[in-house]
Amino acid sequence: MTSADTTIPTELGRPRSAGAQVLRLALRELRSGISGFYVFIACVALGVMVITAVGALTDSLRRGFEEHGELLLGGDVVLSRAHRPAEPQERRWLEAQERVAEMATMRTMARRVDGQDQALVELKGVDPAYPLVGSVTLQGGADFAEAIHKKGGAVVAPILLERLGVKVGDSISIGSISVPITGVVEDEPDNISDNLTYGPRIFLSLDKMRETGLVQLGSLIRWRYALKIANGRASDEQLAQFRDQLEAALPEHGFSVRDRRDPSPRITRSIERLREFLTLLGLTALLVGGVGVANAVATFIDRRRKVIATFKSLGATSGMIFGVFLTQVMLIAAIGVLIGLVLGFLVPVAANAIYGDALPVSISVIISPWSIVSATAYGLLVALMFTLWPLGRAELVRAGVLFRDEVAPEQVRPRPRVIALTVAAIAALVLLAVLSSDSRWIATYFCLGLTAVFALFTGLGKLIAGLARRAPRSRIPEVALAIGNLGGPGGLTHSTVLSLGAGLSLLVAVALTDHSIVRELTTHLPETSPTYFVLDIRRDDATPFRELVNRVAPGSEIRDAPMLRGRLVELGGRPVDQIKPPPEAQWVLSGDRGLTYSETVPEGSRIVAGEWWPQNYDGEPLVSFEAELAGHLGVGLGDTVTVNVLGRNVTARIASLREVQWESLAINFVMVFSPNALRAAPHNLLATITLPPDADLAKDAELARAISNTFPSVTAIRVKDAIDAFSEVFEKVMIAVRAAGSITLLAGALVLAGALATAQRRRIKQAVILKTLGAIRRRILLSHFVEYALLALVVAAVAALLGTVSAWVVVTQVMEIDFTFSLTAVLGALALALLLLMGFGGLGTWQVLRAPAVPYLRSE
Amino acid sequence: MPAPTAPLIALHDVRLTLVSRAGPVEILRGITLEIGAGEAVAVVGPSGSGKTSLLMVMAGLERATSGSVRIAGHDFTKLGEDELALIRGREIGIVFQSFHLVPTMTALENVALPLEFAGNPDAFRIAEEMLAEVGLSHRTDHFPAQLSGGEQQRVALARALAPKPKILLADEPTGNLDGKTGNQIIELLFDLHRRRGATLVLITHDQALAKRCGRTVRMADGRIIADSAEVEAA
Repeated sequence: MTSADTTIPTELGRPRSAGAQVLRLALRELRSGISGFYVFIACVALGVMVITAVGALTDSLRRGFEEHGELLLGGDVVLSRAHRPAEPQERRWLEAQERVAEMATMRTMARRVDGQDQALVELKGVDPAYPLVGSVTLQGGADFAEAIHKKGGAVVAPILLERLGVKVGDSISIGSISVPITGVVEDEPDNISDNLTYGPRIFLSLDKMRETGLVQLGSLIRWRYALKIANGRASDEQLAQFRDQLEAALPEHGFSVRDRRDPSPRITRSIERLREFLTLLGLTALLVGGVGVANAVATFIDRRRKVIATFKSLGATSGMIFGVFLTQVMLIAAIGVLIGLVLGFLVPVAANAIYGDALPVSISVIISPWSIVSATAYGLLVALMFTLWPLGRAELVRAGVLFRDEVAPEQVRPRPRVIALTVAAIAALVLLAVLSSDSRWIATYFCLGLTAVFALFTGLGKLIAGLARRAPRSRIPEVALAIGNLGGPGGLTHSTVLSLGAGLSLLVAVALTDHSIVRELTTHLPETSPTYFVLDIRRDDATPFRELVNRVAPGSEIRDAPMLRGRLVELGGRPVDQIKPPPEAQWVLSGDRGLTYSETVPEGSRIVAGEWWPQNYDGEPLVSFEAELAGHLGVGLGDTVTVNVLGRNVTARIASLREVQWESLAINFVMVFSPNALRAAPHNLLATITLPPDADLAKDAELARAISNTFPSVTAIRVKDAIDAFSEVFEKVMIAVRAAGSITLLAGALVLAGALATAQRRRIKQAVILKTLGAIRRRILLSHFVEYALLALVVAAVAALLGTVSAWVVVTQVMEIDFTFSLTAVLGALALALLLLMGFGGLGTWQVLRAPAVPYLRSE
Repeated sequence: MPAPTAPLIALHDVRLTLVSRAGPVEILRGITLEIGAGEAVAVVGPSGSGKTSLLMVMAGLERATSGSVRIAGHDFTKLGEDELALIRGREIGIVFQSFHLVPTMTALENVALPLEFAGNPDAFRIAEEMLAEVGLSHRTDHFPAQLSGGEQQRVALARALAPKPKILLADEPTGNLDGKTGNQIIELLFDLHRRRGATLVLITHDQALAKRCGRTVRMADGRIIADSAEVEAA
């Protein structure tokens, strides 16, 4: 408030705070009610609702995960690593803890015993101590331990029965043995910590799993050890201590350690990313709604001209007037914020009631103080930002001018302090958006992008109005009227272009990005990708495997590479947990990475710095690192890289940097080592098979059967299935993105409705004047139609262009995939623009035509 | 003033009742009035006496609840809204106290508008001539907001007279203007009325102004309580 820190004398000489007086006057002024502010309130409430809903949803999920972390994880702590089970010394240390359960997970093939069909499955071998927390429930109430340990059978997910056409009691082949199906799993408590993307679950006892012949040194098996480190729930302190103790006791353990506080960092990260993204979309909706806020304030000030003039004539200063009306407007904004907070909280409550069963744990909807504070701050800052300017102009208008009717408002620029306050509100908003986001550069670019979009559409609004004013007058009165309205003062042009333009641009950008990704997934990727990824081919089987493929599917292209899994331990001499990479490189440091070695530069790679090692190189271990990621991780030529493979730390020096074509789903690795670094470690091969173009589905199935029957330990993943699985997840994410994007358009529609409502009195008056001059209704109707159609066309065209450019940037520069244009998406934008303008406008015109003339013609 | 042969405006027992929250309100209570071609009639009376409503009925902007309304030979009670609009465009010019110019159009465009509605191909040439007649040749490209109150009313006057209407209705045309500007507008109004021979119905509070019209109709409480034409006839 402008003069809140000063005091003013009262008639009694007792000083009274100017702030209190401003508040009192503001409250007195509020007696006139909040009519005219409904759109203002709705605009603020809508944006705040989105941000609150996103906040509450993620808060609830995070809390649910924290509360049920022990159940989701299967213990207080889970240690896991690829390839190698705990060594005896490690096992002794683990068993010294309160309780321990051992598990092994891998992808493999389950086959019908007659060899007629097979399916990719996620196999989990468990010891009798599993599960430490919760229980595995089976259909029909059967006992899990009895099913796998006593009966020595397999417990499978229901979908597998369907896929293989088998039932409980039948046997299936896994690896080199056949196992009877002894149960059907209904609920697995800790499945969230596995990535069950590729196939249904099969449980075996660990002993039975070992009998399959799949457990070999070098096989892609993940060994897990779930631990209870305390009797009862382990405290955070105990969890922290445990990590220290583990490092001290087993310094080269190579385990990934997770504890119940964050049972699935991958999911937590995804939720966090989605929260940030949806919050930014909510902010967009709020900013688009801000146009409605500004319109409402301008109209409010216009209606209060006489009150302002009266205040001024009675001795109120400009600052006092500014304070009174700012207080009043911000109080109304607070109503909007409050409504938004309540509705935003109700969204996850409703979502939980409807979709709660789909979650791995039951959650109770909560909202953190930070979510409330940030949603409130966003709402109030946006309201403030769009309120200051019109208020700042009002305080400068001279009292004499205010008393005059039917004159153009004086175009004055607010005082410097009001401009400074506006800039401060914008800066605070940007700071809030950027600082509360983990991906700060994304948030920064987003803010910059939004500023550009607003600037562009503000400019476009001015351009259209300017062109309309300068356009030679049409000889068709309806067109002349329409163009006159587009260029005239108080017209709809500015608000409509800005509000609808921003919303439509976003929708076009989302639709085209979606279209390009779907196209990539459904057409381009399957065309350019191999047909199969084949895991766990033993080195001895490499030649027979090639021979089999060439015999069954002649003309197939087979590529293979050694495949090990290992964790990055140090980069450039720094432990990886001390490295804070940008989000796009985070994945390299978390969990296991595929590692390989090669005598030659792999296909699809190009050396951009340094040199490849010579044939039969036998010196210091070397590694070639992917160039872009090396840049993100802050390493370069000559730096060292330490990976833990099979419990042994291997350090190699970066000899070259490579550019990799990730978009082709060929065999690609971030790190390729010189053969002498890894050749001695037990490992298998990874291969891709690309069937000849004329191969049909029958050939595809025949090859899968042949591989599965001949090499029972080999896992063949059909790439198309993997892409389909990913597409399914992607579509779900896009639903949320589209919903949030639609909210922006809804905000735009609200602003449009508000602007039309504000203009309604003026339009009715205009129509009445035209009627007195001899205009029939068709003429008025036609002039409105032409005006709306012109606006819709221009806005849709620019939104289509802007949305297309944005999508192109995102698709080609960020995602680095091919951009495909969709005329449907662009025509959709045009249709929406026409629908909204014609819908709201048509409603307004109908009222215009029905309005009686006399009240508008009588002198006021 | 020559005696009218056939009345251009003929109202017989016109009643206008509007429904308000407090119930029906009788605005006009049996108005019978005939005005001949070329007459200048002042309608006077206190606020709320029904003057403006009477004018609106004559313009076809308000429908009489009962009675007969014949304007320039047309039975207004039998015409639809669009037909009334077309008649207004050709035969009736209206000047309001609040000018009621279209804010998005220049002075010239405002004046040309009724001519365009009537399909007159010379709309802009006539509009320019009209603006010259009211002394605003130099303001043709100005928007209403760029004009003073007096200038706006002159544009309104030019617009009302541009289609050469048989009837000119003026509702307190000087009410929003200062005395000097008001006088200029009135001089212009009477000058144009004289030169073009249109029938003038002028609502005013100004007795001096009323006297300049050949006939004065006095209203109170929705009725005509005096008509100088009848007095003269008597």
